Amino acid sequence: MSLRRGFALAETELRSFDRSVAARCHVQQPDRYRLIEALPTDVPRISRGGGISYVGASFASGGVTQDVSAFDRILAFDGERGLLKVEAGAPIGEVMRFALAQGWMLPVAPGHPRASVGGCIAADVHGKNPARDGTFRRHVEAIELFDPVAGWLSLDRTQNAQRFAACFAGFGIPGLIASATLRLVPSAVAYSLRSIAVSGLVEAREVLLAHAGAPLLYGWHDGRSGRFGRGVIRYGLESKEPTIRSKYLTPDLPAMIKPWPLCAWNRIGIAAMNRLIRHRYGPGQSHLTTEAAMFPLNDARAYYAGFGAEGFIEAQWLLTHQRYADFVASLEAETIRLRPCISLIASKLFDGKAEGFGFDGNGISLAIQIPQPRIKTQATFLESLTELALIHGGRPNLIKDSSLTGASAKRGIVDFDSVRDDLRGFDPNQLQQSELTRRLGL
Amino acid sequence: MTAIVVGASSGLGRALSVELARNGHPLLLIASDARDLDALGSDLRLRFKAEVGILALDLAANADPGARVLEALAELPPPSALLLPLGMSRSDDDGSLAVGAIGQLLAINLHAPLAISHALLPSLLETHGSIVGFGSIAGARGRSRNIVYATAKRGLETFFESLRHRHLPSALRVQFYRLGFLRSNLTFGMKLALPAAEPEDVARKVVKALRRDSFDHYEPRWWGMIALIIRCLPWFAFRRMKD
Repeated sequence: MSLRRGFALAETELRSFDRSVAARCHVQQPDRYRLIEALPTDVPRISRGGGISYVGASFASGGVTQDVSAFDRILAFDGERGLLKVEAGAPIGEVMRFALAQGWMLPVAPGHPRASVGGCIAADVHGKNPARDGTFRRHVEAIELFDPVAGWLSLDRTQNAQRFAACFAGFGIPGLIASATLRLVPSAVAYSLRSIAVSGLVEAREVLLAHAGAPLLYGWHDGRSGRFGRGVIRYGLESKEPTIRSKYLTPDLPAMIKPWPLCAWNRIGIAAMNRLIRHRYGPGQSHLTTEAAMFPLNDARAYYAGFGAEGFIEAQWLLTHQRYADFVASLEAETIRLRPCISLIASKLFDGKAEGFGFDGNGISLAIQIPQPRIKTQATFLESLTELALIHGGRPNLIKDSSLTGASAKRGIVDFDSVRDDLRGFDPNQLQQSELTRRLGL
Repeated sequence: MTAIVVGASSGLGRALSVELARNGHPLLLIASDARDLDALGSDLRLRFKAEVGILALDLAANADPGARVLEALAELPPPSALLLPLGMSRSDDDGSLAVGAIGQLLAINLHAPLAISHALLPSLLETHGSIVGFGSIAGARGRSRNIVYATAKRGLETFFESLRHRHLPSALRVQFYRLGFLRSNLTFGMKLALPAAEPEDVARKVVKALRRDSFDHYEPRWWGMIALIIRCLPWFAFRRMKD
């Protein structure tokens, strides 16, 4: 522990949500603004909100991890215009609950309710239908940021506009995000969710395109060879009928889930789970509260615990419509050849413009979750998947895949070097460092 | 009626502010940095529709903090509770502090609570209100660490005993908590020999007990047993204790 008052440090081991990245870190837990400022200006640091990054984006060994979870307060709300100013450590689930109680909602939210607002900005997360709602950046009006050298800065689309834009998928490099003003939309009462069965990932694309305007739109697919890509596309429409809230509310998914002693997602476990999901997502429609629709991971606690202590890797790639079918065919051939264990494939439709390191563009994204990533077959498949995606012009989601190397990221993002240089222009002393930025050479 | 929280921006003070707002109390929040108070005040107004006043006050630099508190109260309903969860400790408080640092520790941990209490006593007696102080396990016995801090906390304990002696519970509820380890910035990063209580749990108990009579006890209660053991330790054994 430091002897200096104002920035007491705890030494502790921090781990990514996918359990693939771990580091022994010095953590500062400021709960007042002067404690954010108390860290000497030459100390490498990275800010940490909910601590649920898949890739170690919010911690690093050798520097100070500034845990800003105490900065979770609601600062202002304009009920006329739907503007909500919150501190960056506020969990997105809490922000959503507050907004819903006022008749508003945030259309883009990641599946995990404990992701912080600052984390959603730094990762530029997408929501349940990125083709319709874009990514998080579309819904942020202004940011207050602390730069260790320049001090406190106000950013928006007209003031410090370049730095404002750089905060999205900037992985904390432009500075510590202290608060943000979010633009809300009137909330839905509930959602009516329907499922359409698809025989493969190519058919999934057609169904996704046909329902592009739905507020909720995503696919779940089997990853086993022989059944590869079979699954359902789920689309949700706003429902006027209020749902009956269960007496027993599902608690928010914890930031760190205690793993089961052994990995349950072997071939037998995956087969059983797929059968269960197919049954659950069967034909017909279900009604969900807006909160339940926004945070489906709250029901997935056992799924994540089932990966065991070894964790998992999620590789997520965005393929253009032109190259998608070829990529799917190659990927299927590779699963037949290597027979990896894939616990889940999720599909989403994108219709945006790739900016900086953000995960956006025009095409279909596939998120592929791989249990036991250190086993040789699994690791080999991950390498093949990366290579195939790159050959087919895929864009990687840097904030999801902890197996991605700097070299692969450079191949997947055409203007990688110039984006990195622009980002580091805001941090010339390389003070903002995380396990993610080091791995990718940012 | 208004509850005043001195040291509202962090740890137990912040947890008490949230709990009091949740229970519908109008609040006057006092801390040194206006930025923290603005944020907390806005949050409590928006989440709980609470009436919240704020006062940024450097307790170490103000000779008469009570007068400033009375001024700030003019805009709010009469005070019914004064809670004093303020405190400051230093890791170099081992007998080597300069005179300025000693003054700062005494001003925050002893002078400010006494001065504010004295200023508010007439109003609190008028409303049959409560005054709540927070001591520390550090005050159980003098040690080579936290020397000035423990001295101030022991002084505060004596002040609350005097208040209890002076006023019947029907006129003024005088409640004093001697706190064990609390999960806050004071203990963050320390390897503690015993578990630390969550500020939110302590705050719930304190707010629930506000209408009870006067008392003086440890929180969590089992710290009373630890304090008793520490007090009963023979000198030769106590001298060897470093933590």
